[in-house]
Amino acid sequence: MIRSDQILDTVAMIQKENLDVRAVTLGLDLLDCRGATVHETCSRIQAKIRRFGAGLVPTCQALAEKYCIPVINKRMAVTPIAHVCAGFDRAGFIAVAHALNDAASEIGIDFIGGFSANVEGGLTPASRALIAAMPTALVATQKVCASINVGSTRYGINMDAIVLLGQTIKALAEASPDTGGFAAAKFVIFTNQPNDNPFMAGAIHGLGQPEAVINVGVSGPGVIARALERRLEQAGATQLGLHDLADEIKRAAFRVTRAGELMGKRVAEALNIPFGVVDVSLAPTPAVGDSVGEILKILGVDAIGAPGSTAIVALLNDAVKKGGSFASQSVGGLSGAFIPVCEDRELANAVRDGSLVLEKLEAMTSVCSVGLDMIAIPGSVDAATIAAIIADEMVIGMINNKTTAVRLIPVPGKEAGDFVAFGGLFGESAILPVRNAGQSARFVNFGGRIPAPIHSLRN
Amino acid sequence: MATNQFVISIMSSDRVGIVSDVASQISALQGDIADLSQTVLRGYFTMILMATFPEATTTAAIKAQLTAISAPDAPALEVTVLPVGASALREEAVAPENIYILTASGGDRIGFVATVASFCAKNAINIRDLATSVSAGQYSMVLQVDLSRCASVRSIQRELKLFAQQHEIQLVLQHNDIFQAIHEINMPG
Repeated sequence: MIRSDQILDTVAMIQKENLDVRAVTLGLDLLDCRGATVHETCSRIQAKIRRFGAGLVPTCQALAEKYCIPVINKRMAVTPIAHVCAGFDRAGFIAVAHALNDAASEIGIDFIGGFSANVEGGLTPASRALIAAMPTALVATQKVCASINVGSTRYGINMDAIVLLGQTIKALAEASPDTGGFAAAKFVIFTNQPNDNPFMAGAIHGLGQPEAVINVGVSGPGVIARALERRLEQAGATQLGLHDLADEIKRAAFRVTRAGELMGKRVAEALNIPFGVVDVSLAPTPAVGDSVGEILKILGVDAIGAPGSTAIVALLNDAVKKGGSFASQSVGGLSGAFIPVCEDRELANAVRDGSLVLEKLEAMTSVCSVGLDMIAIPGSVDAATIAAIIADEMVIGMINNKTTAVRLIPVPGKEAGDFVAFGGLFGESAILPVRNAGQSARFVNFGGRIPAPIHSLRN
Repeated sequence: MATNQFVISIMSSDRVGIVSDVASQISALQGDIADLSQTVLRGYFTMILMATFPEATTTAAIKAQLTAISAPDAPALEVTVLPVGASALREEAVAPENIYILTASGGDRIGFVATVASFCAKNAINIRDLATSVSAGQYSMVLQVDLSRCASVRSIQRELKLFAQQHEIQLVLQHNDIFQAIHEINMPG
């Protein structure tokens, strides 16, 4: 029998600390959906999404009700569309985006990821057509999310693609001026993109995955923050070292992950689809008390971005992984602490107050998941500068054998210090200044590739 | 050998050696202990057990044997002995599916437990295990409950919410698997 005090702790965790399952994502292979024409391919894709996905939302709802743990997002990730639709032109890819969007709407999921290509070694006509289709496709659809993998530790970084994507990000934002450039928030650029990540915008069902799989993203900044506060209150700050606090984070991460593992397995059983991984990412929401930034403050910096912030993020990220990996049968995806600025109230406030700047965010992403995420920058920043920011972030991933990502929103017509709101889980933020904009064009215009790193002489 | 089954309950202020004394006396009567549960609450010992005895053993004989237990400075044990029909020994298995944990907390008052228990009774919720505690004027109850007689969890949750508002008690119903997953090394099956 579980002790009463443990039960009361857990009830508090669920009721007051925002414990939820952030995402249940059904990964689905679409390689067998290719038809002779665009139309036939679209029909097959929709039929397959319906066949595997129709039960996802009702099943998640029923289990959320049974276990009284909310499942915030129900999503699908599909085979990168550049693989499925190679040979299609731009119009063909736009038609496929609509087909994905319609099928996603029909089965009631929140997002569908996989309007994607891997161009780490070079661009194919298919990946070019997909990238060219992106501004129209992402503005005209609501649920489709896009991602491009531009590099890896093994193959280096495709700078030509980054140049193109710098322009694409601008085009995405400029094509959606009424929503603050929101189309750019549905697109993310990766190095070392995982094949099993349940989080948007970067979820894909990579090659080598089974026909269908259920992956789960857990929640938790609120739970971790409250656990730390309780520990500090009980023991007193002077009695605790950082190792004690790391241990507390580990325990809380274990519990959060277990709840996700349980829900994921139950969903998978009910749908008769194999269970894949739990992504033990600490993903914040704009809700008060569900912030990674808040954890940084609890762990001792009065302003987020102050010296010490990077060390704290490193400690947090590692403790979350340690706690989560024992809790789950298999951990995968991005797994770490996210610092998506707009989606995290405390981080957004730190940007507004000027304590958190782009360069510090970049430093923090070298020790945590996942990258420069959901950062609103001035709409006037040029494409070459955006490409150079992407390049900086991608090499952090390449050199350190980790996943890094960039999701920037150059908000049309807004300048540093202005404010933008995207609504819902996407949150809001002040526009972050980009210092030294317009100084990187010569570097970017070299294009070509940044070679893969050597794996000895590690310094 | 034909046997008779009895349920025996013991209550006493707590001291070292009660279980040893009771078990020895049952053995002396050739009794075989099956299920047993004991707990100590604020210095008071209580135990309930099932045992089988040779057919000739009477209720009075068992009670006499156990009441005779003595220890220096300790009063005799309060003993109740009841013969049990075979039908009552059926173990009623509840599917893990239907086991939930209900927690109730609120300001300490007369009738707190009665209020919560009346909700359970009215809604066909069977209480399998219950522990309560008071701390700083806050009363907390943790109940393991069986919902197999209830129509749907959704309707229970709705009723619970209404009831909680009416009575100013915080009531939370969660599936038992959640607690097992979060607090035990093994995942629920």
